[in-house]
Amino acid sequence: MPYFGSEEMVKELKRALSNPNVQADRLRYKNYITKVIRYMTQGLDVSALFMDMVKASATVDIAQKKLVYLYMCTYASDKPDLALLAINTLRKDCADPNPMVRGLALRNMCNFRMPGMTEYIEQPIVAGLRDKASYVRRVAVLGCAKMHSLQPNTDIDGTIVNELYALLRDPDPVVVVNCLRALEEILKDEGGVVINKPIAHHLLNRMKDLDSWAQSEVLTFLLRYRPRSDDELFDILSLLDSFLQSAHAHVAVATLRLFLQLASAHPAVQADALLRTSAPLLATCGAASRELRFAGLCHVQQVMRSQPGLFGTHYKRFFCGYSEPTYIKFRKMEILVELVNDENVALVLEELRSYCTDVSPELAQAAIAAIGRIARTYSEKCLDILTGLLALKQDHITSAVIQTFRDLVWFCPQSTAAVCQTVEACVDSPQDSEGKQALLWLLGEHGDQISSAPYVMEGYIDGLKTELSSAVKMELLTASVKMFLCRPRILRGGNVEESDVCVRDRALLCYRLLQRGVEETRKVVTGPKSDPSMSVLTGRQEEPISQWASTFNTLGPLSGRGLCLQTAVISAADQPSSSAEKELLPDDTEEEISLSLGPPLSHETFEKMWLDLEILHRQTLGFPRPRTAPDTLQAALQLVKIQTLAFTPGDTVPWKAYIYTRSTGTLILAELLQGDQQAPGSDESLVVSVKQQPVNQHAIRGFVSILKSVLQTLNVDSS
Amino acid sequence: MSASAVFVLDLKGKVLICRNYKGDVDMSEIDHFFTLLMQQEEEGLVCPVMSHGNVHFLWIKHSNLYLVATTNKNSNASLVYAFLYKLVEVFTEYFKELEEESIQDNFVVVYELLDELMDFGFPQTTDSKILQEYITQKGNKLEVAKTKVPTTVTNAVSWRSEGIKYKKNEVFIDVIESINVLVNANGSVMSSDIVGSIKLKTMLSGMPELRLGLNDRMLFALTGRDKGKSVAMEDVKFHQCVRLSRFESDRTISFIPPDGESELMSYRINTHVKPLIWIESVIEKFSHSRVEIMVKGGKEFLMRAHFGLPSVENHELEGRPPITVKFEIPYFTVSGIQVRYMKIIEKSGYQALPWVRYITQSGDYQLRTNS
Repeated sequence: MPYFGSEEMVKELKRALSNPNVQADRLRYKNYITKVIRYMTQGLDVSALFMDMVKASATVDIAQKKLVYLYMCTYASDKPDLALLAINTLRKDCADPNPMVRGLALRNMCNFRMPGMTEYIEQPIVAGLRDKASYVRRVAVLGCAKMHSLQPNTDIDGTIVNELYALLRDPDPVVVVNCLRALEEILKDEGGVVINKPIAHHLLNRMKDLDSWAQSEVLTFLLRYRPRSDDELFDILSLLDSFLQSAHAHVAVATLRLFLQLASAHPAVQADALLRTSAPLLATCGAASRELRFAGLCHVQQVMRSQPGLFGTHYKRFFCGYSEPTYIKFRKMEILVELVNDENVALVLEELRSYCTDVSPELAQAAIAAIGRIARTYSEKCLDILTGLLALKQDHITSAVIQTFRDLVWFCPQSTAAVCQTVEACVDSPQDSEGKQALLWLLGEHGDQISSAPYVMEGYIDGLKTELSSAVKMELLTASVKMFLCRPRILRGGNVEESDVCVRDRALLCYRLLQRGVEETRKVVTGPKSDPSMSVLTGRQEEPISQWASTFNTLGPLSGRGLCLQTAVISAADQPSSSAEKELLPDDTEEEISLSLGPPLSHETFEKMWLDLEILHRQTLGFPRPRTAPDTLQAALQLVKIQTLAFTPGDTVPWKAYIYTRSTGTLILAELLQGDQQAPGSDESLVVSVKQQPVNQHAIRGFVSILKSVLQTLNVDSS
Repeated sequence: MSASAVFVLDLKGKVLICRNYKGDVDMSEIDHFFTLLMQQEEEGLVCPVMSHGNVHFLWIKHSNLYLVATTNKNSNASLVYAFLYKLVEVFTEYFKELEEESIQDNFVVVYELLDELMDFGFPQTTDSKILQEYITQKGNKLEVAKTKVPTTVTNAVSWRSEGIKYKKNEVFIDVIESINVLVNANGSVMSSDIVGSIKLKTMLSGMPELRLGLNDRMLFALTGRDKGKSVAMEDVKFHQCVRLSRFESDRTISFIPPDGESELMSYRINTHVKPLIWIESVIEKFSHSRVEIMVKGGKEFLMRAHFGLPSVENHELEGRPPITVKFEIPYFTVSGIQVRYMKIIEKSGYQALPWVRYITQSGDYQLRTNS
């Protein structure tokens, strides 16, 4: 980090460190070293002091040694030549009579991340593995893994691997676990450390001596072991039994995962393990640390995928505390929705109702969505609450309620009449675009049951000019057409000049449809009014445990899914009308795709990918290549976010160009070719060949059409 | 578990101190952490796991610090959080308060601790008692190579060193119960439970064997005695020193205690307790510039408060924070749990005195308000 005056400071420190008077006064000397480390911590570049610091490592003061080692590790990769000078001192320390010094030196030497270290650290590591102090052995074992990570592509040293396997029998528990960790790293490409029967049983017997971190990890390694017989299996399970109730949540959960995996053929054992871990899991959900609480909740959700009833009686544990962070409250609400049954529905709804007026609009809306989910089973009670909420006349609440209504009607058609009544009576209209869309959909789809629908819609048509969101405009178009079909007298044309392509296309489509006649339109526009795949009771299917056991107790459950309640709203809004339209829209209204440049591809990468991929699309464009200067072509393509990688100069025949671009998660590579004898049709016209990863035909069509229009424009310009 | 690196950041996202354990994640990735966090905070969707590319940030916040672990593997998340909290615990024991200033004042010790706590992304020595034996905050001013690996690092009893000596052998036992209560606005108790913890302050010489007797209902049922009050404990958790197998078989709590202060065990009691302190409150808004709050606590206290407010009104909804009660009642446990005996046996045969103290206090004690 450039820092004003830092150069002066470094110079001054250098003077001080090399001053024999300072060196003689150990306290002063150490103070200067501390100062160097302080600057280093603050991000100043003090690497210029490397030589002086190396000298300072020759000391009997361990604290000073540690500081110097830390310094060396930080700058070793920047100054590999100087770091080599430090190695002598470190190697000497590796033979120090004090095990603490030996351990420290070895650990830090292994932390030098620079090429060529291996030859210096190998011998001390091997010696360290046989050291009589376990402190040194711990360091040496992990040192093996560090050494391997320095040269990941070299052959695995068989003697070291064997030595590590032998050290699994070390009396020191940390050495044992470090061996597993190191072997796992070293043998990564071969599938990690092998857990055979003797090793598995040895580890199981050592479990008690290990600290909680080690227990957790050993349990995870044991996932790899398959018992030979049921007898052995149950022996293992009974050995591990007490760990299901470990004081450390992570150990209990790791044990549970192992149980689920080992007993995959014994559902009763699995169920029993789940039942017994439910207490520790619940306890984690109330843990003092919010992150652990969050992790606990996520795991409860996973368990509930297979055993929805397991936590039923404990639903009160999932009531939100006032000061809990939103991410916890969201999870708790999701769980509450799943736990609802005849006995607790009243209390759960009352609780959720109180969240609907929370200060955080996100939370309030999620609570409303949660009530909407429960409404699929307990419609009447929920509709009362939702209707009551409308009376509060809060914009974000009204909007969320209307959206919930839309989803509810879609999933639970028998509630339509009640919903329509409420919508009819609702005076306030939502102000945000999500809410407007939902209301318009309801008006369009069920306009026959809402007598005021045409008037409300008219209001929207009048306000079309000031409406900003194109999504709302499109919804309005579709809704008006539907409205026209069920109550033909009203619709008034409102086709204003529109700049957004999508809206204009939708308007044109509607217009043309109507020209084809009412019946034709009806066929297209009216889809099913509810989700035909839904049964009345949307109880969730119980999934087999194997569905989730493999990601249990990892990062997966915490980050895998987004915020479920919110996404549910979005996916539920997958409406019938638009899907019917899509089928009818083959080519004339090509939906816009957007291209983007993204990070540049190197020539090598492009070449490799081009050779690896198949041609997905080849098209003769029907016009020759533009006769513009190469720069112009490149700039023009750049303008539409197509990157030029290379092209043949001037009038060379055949003429070729390689280009690429990105669109909605796919990478498109293309070749433009003219005048190649072997390619048919290329003598007079450009031929484009497209490759893509991953495949997305829609994006290819969009890409080709954009490319075509650019090249055509250039042709016109140049002629 | 494997964490690639650990960072301590201040509230503005500046790295105060960091340790690159594994070298497989670029240290500059941390620059994305704060941007992501700010972005999420704006959207109101903060999450303790954040990802940038294939780098995951697992983070916790403690006073004015963020502690962040980076990883590019699908690590065990709870383990990483537990480790970060362990860091907080160890640092707190060293510096009393863990905050920006204490990190800056003690960066040398922080480096030393980070070095011993984890190696290559794996937790190593995390017991602060043991760490304190060889990383002394003030003591390493030029004590020439005196720092030896303490025996505990390799001891069979990893939580206690040999050769501890006290003039007077004593052990103090604190039985502390916290009551968690949630009462909703119309006065019904939504949930209530008791979380108990037994803490020790051990000042005993040598390697003493201790046995603790409680009026545990399961134990009474086992031994067939039903005289006196007994308590049914759930979710019992012990310090690693307690021999779990003995507890499993005959409910005996036997152990070699760690020296000094430690938490021996914790438990939860799920029975419905009648709230010890009851509060009724009425909050009335007369107009947009006057609010009256009346809080009636038990028999003795009544608070009536009037607020004259400026007539400028906010259109946003107001939160309704619940009434939180804090209290402490000495010489009493709600559950009725009792220490029946504490036996202390050491091979030198000294006499030691156990002292017991009971406290009941408020945990998460909340009564929601109506408005």
